[in-house]
Amino acid sequence: MKGWLVLISLLAGALLLSLMIGQVLMTPAMLWTGLWSGTGPGALTLRVLRGPSTLTAAGAGAVLGASGTVFQILLRNPLAAPDVMGFMSGAGLAVVAGVAFGVLLPLPLLAAAGGLLAALVVTLLSVRPNGAQSTFTLILVGIGVSFFAAAASSFLVTRMPPQEAADAQRWLVGSLSARSWQHAAQVWGIGSLLFLVLAVQVRAMALLELGDDLAAGLGVRINRARTGLICTGVLLAAAGVAVAGPVPFVALMAGPLGMRIAGVTQPGARLTAAAITGALVTVLADVVSRSLVPGLQLPVGVMTGLMGAPYLLWLLMKEAEAGEL
Amino acid sequence: MKSLTGLALLLALAMALTLLVGVQDASLGDLWRAVFAFDPADPAQVVIRSVRLPRLVAGLIAGAGLGMAGTIMQAVTRNPLADPGLLGVNAGAAFAVVVGALISGYSDSGMIAALTFPGAALASAAVFLLGGARGGTAGPVRLTLAGVALNALLLSLISAIILSRSEVLEVFRFWVTGSLAQAHSRPLAMMAGTLLLGSVIALVAAPRIEALALGTALARGLGTRPGRVQLAALAAITLMTGSAVAVAGPIAFLGLIVPPLARRMARHVLRRELILSALLGAAIILLADTLGRLIVAPAEIRVGIMTALIGAPAFILIARRLTPGATA
Repeated sequence: MKGWLVLISLLAGALLLSLMIGQVLMTPAMLWTGLWSGTGPGALTLRVLRGPSTLTAAGAGAVLGASGTVFQILLRNPLAAPDVMGFMSGAGLAVVAGVAFGVLLPLPLLAAAGGLLAALVVTLLSVRPNGAQSTFTLILVGIGVSFFAAAASSFLVTRMPPQEAADAQRWLVGSLSARSWQHAAQVWGIGSLLFLVLAVQVRAMALLELGDDLAAGLGVRINRARTGLICTGVLLAAAGVAVAGPVPFVALMAGPLGMRIAGVTQPGARLTAAAITGALVTVLADVVSRSLVPGLQLPVGVMTGLMGAPYLLWLLMKEAEAGEL
Repeated sequence: MKSLTGLALLLALAMALTLLVGVQDASLGDLWRAVFAFDPADPAQVVIRSVRLPRLVAGLIAGAGLGMAGTIMQAVTRNPLADPGLLGVNAGAAFAVVVGALISGYSDSGMIAALTFPGAALASAAVFLLGGARGGTAGPVRLTLAGVALNALLLSLISAIILSRSEVLEVFRFWVTGSLAQAHSRPLAMMAGTLLLGSVIALVAAPRIEALALGTALARGLGTRPGRVQLAALAAITLMTGSAVAVAGPIAFLGLIVPPLARRMARHVLRRELILSALLGAAIILLADTLGRLIVAPAEIRVGIMTALIGAPAFILIARRLTPGATA
């Protein structure tokens, strides 16, 4: 219980910081007056300048965090995350391709299609010539697919007109600048829907975690449950990509970090903790990337890269002691 | 011998294509005159001399350097997924140059280009440590992900520095994109020299690196000192990768796809493999560059993107064959 309190107060603090910090510092009192009176600088900040992007950051972080944990539980490996395994780069590639070829579909649909396609390709290609399949091959093939999607995205970007190319390049790093209420509503709307689906699937997930044989014995249809969970996980990641670009490492970090802070082990609790931690990490990264250099907004992906890369290195050092990889 | 001749012919073809094909097509006669009887009034000859010859030389340096560096890396880490680009050595070199260019305010002097070497040295030392060159070997997943992390860290740092100083976007364009297009303003002669030095070190150390691959204890028994051999390998990788980044920026995947092809032709003799890697690396980069200039002419696709489009599927092919626990 104490862990949850810590996690939620951290998130609340990060959200408040995100609303306060920017070109002009807003005190909590100014924000409070703005919220109730609806006029003044506080109201403008909440309604136009920082409100929508803060909410978008929190929503994107939450869906990414939950997505990473779905795969980490399913594959029983802390390295299994949609950013490492190429699903997010696949979603990113689909969005860039849609823009480049003028496909008039909404971004979330494009991202979802790209993510699902990448997941399908990774799954099919990771069946080894002798028919065996392992998390080891899945992760390596996923990294390969993400390399390819990144290269193909760069290829498409070089074919765009200069201004469009600069925007696309920034988006591909992961960016939260100039988000509107539409983005916030989109990620929260799709996100809540997917969380409901996940809530239905969580029982099967808990049983799958006990091992396939036991789960089958308890009446879980293994393949169906697993496919359903993979789809939910990919769609969660795609919902994040659609509003913030393929922000790296949030999905990888949020799960283990949230599990530790909240002190939980059950799948349902882990997913909730991961969603809150994902929101926390993304909002904080956004605050830092906005305030690091005065008058300039770094893409949020640069910040999550600086935070996530050392975490990944540390994780690899630790995993190495456990062997197998 | 047969494979050597074949590769030499392939390289000659790639060189001819680099010099003759492009928006301004040129004939062999133009090439001859541009070299031996230069007429500054003929546009075909001017293009060959001032644009395509430097491009060719840069391609030769980068291709041979990255091909050989990949071969040495794969031999030392005993890992078929090792590549200077994927493991972050290129990014280390580029990072050092960007920092140097920012501090000094210049972007294209030979002194700045030489900063690739300390950058590459630090990054390859990090790779050696992570790759467990001392003691056991790291598995492919660990090594590859360590490279992903190192690359992400360095590129995030580069972006943070670059984006916070808007006047240096040119520095980024110049140093952090893998391309042969700016070859004419690179210190080509100097980098050819350092590449040669690196290749000599690699060729001399090759038999001892092979002994090391048999295991540290056995290598000691055969009279090699593992620490010194690894230091030589590190120096060779640094010199070869640094030269390549200084003339062409960071280009990934070349060091991944060249060694397995060269290994088969060289029948697993490292010295022969190195020579074939140099030829094959240079041929592939020149062909990829020519293709990149042709498919969207008059615009061009940077050669780094071309090698990634070819190399990523190759990465998946190689990864599919690996089994957990094996160090191939």
